[in-house]
Amino acid sequence: MSTPTHFKSGREGRGAAFVADHHGSEHARFMRLTSYALAPLGILAVWYLAGVVGLSADGVRAAIGRPFPALTLIAFGVIGMIHAREGMNEIILDYVHDPALKDKALRANQWAARAIAALWTLALMLIAAPR
Amino acid sequence: MDSSGSANADSDPHGAQRPLSPHLSVYRPMMTMMMSIAHRITGAGLYVAMALLTLLFIGVGMGGAFYAAFGWLGSSAIGGLLVFLITWAIYHHLLGGVRHFLWDRGLYMDPKGREALAIGTLVGGVGLTVLTWIAKSLAG
Ligand code: HEM
Repeated sequence: MSTPTHFKSGREGRGAAFVADHHGSEHARFMRLTSYALAPLGILAVWYLAGVVGLSADGVRAAIGRPFPALTLIAFGVIGMIHAREGMNEIILDYVHDPALKDKALRANQWAARAIAALWTLALMLIAAPR
Repeated sequence: MDSSGSANADSDPHGAQRPLSPHLSVYRPMMTMMMSIAHRITGAGLYVAMALLTLLFIGVGMGGAFYAAFGWLGSSAIGGLLVFLITWAIYHHLLGGVRHFLWDRGLYMDPKGREALAIGTLVGGVGLTVLTWIAKSLAG
């Protein structure tokens, strides 16, 4: 239902709610879905991380190089960085207003998140590899 | 835009002197607002933390010069403190996610409930972190 009105606001174009990337509810759903996986993985990740402090390289390998810890940490890192990429996109859209700078920041975020997820996975595979 | 008097400092010579309608400054700092900010800060902080932990894992996985460069993140006192803070940030951010989960379902949205959830995030995050490290030192 619409209400006809003769009021003219003097403004044109789309309002403030439209200046972001038009994907608000998709974004929220994505953050929620990834967080369901990250919650249990995060608890395990904390447990493993707290266990590597103060150890030698061999000690760290023994602690997290077994299949379950290594695979858990890989899953946490990959899903975590997909989630973090979306989250950081939102932070950039909120604070970086200059169009050129915003574009650069968004692009840098895409590649930084991918690089971290890939190197994280590779490093843990090296740690878990038999030697 | 409009031609009538605006409080825009760029177009109105007196704009800078005109009072702004108060927004942030009229807010009593509320726990929910603080925890909302903390969720964003821990989220962004964890992004950096994941990069640091990646360097540590590369050091351990590659050994040699890589371990010499990044091993301190796991073996030194400073590295240990960083990892401690990272585990707190994970817990705090995780509980923030649980808070969103409950609010999404319309639970604890009354003034008392939402404030309690926010305080629960803060206390729970610190509590779980301390408990984990105590349990870990007893187990290891
Ligand atoms: C441990 C389990 C985790 C849970 C349960 C979780 C949950 C969430 C949720 C629900 C949001 C959306 C908040 C909102 O709608 O305002 C969010 C945002 C975010 N998360 Fe996570 N998260 C987790 C782990 C991580 C990790 C590991 C990282 C980084 C590597 C991360 C980075 C972020 C970022 C950057 C945001 C955006 C913050 C903002 O927009 O203010 N999260 N998280």
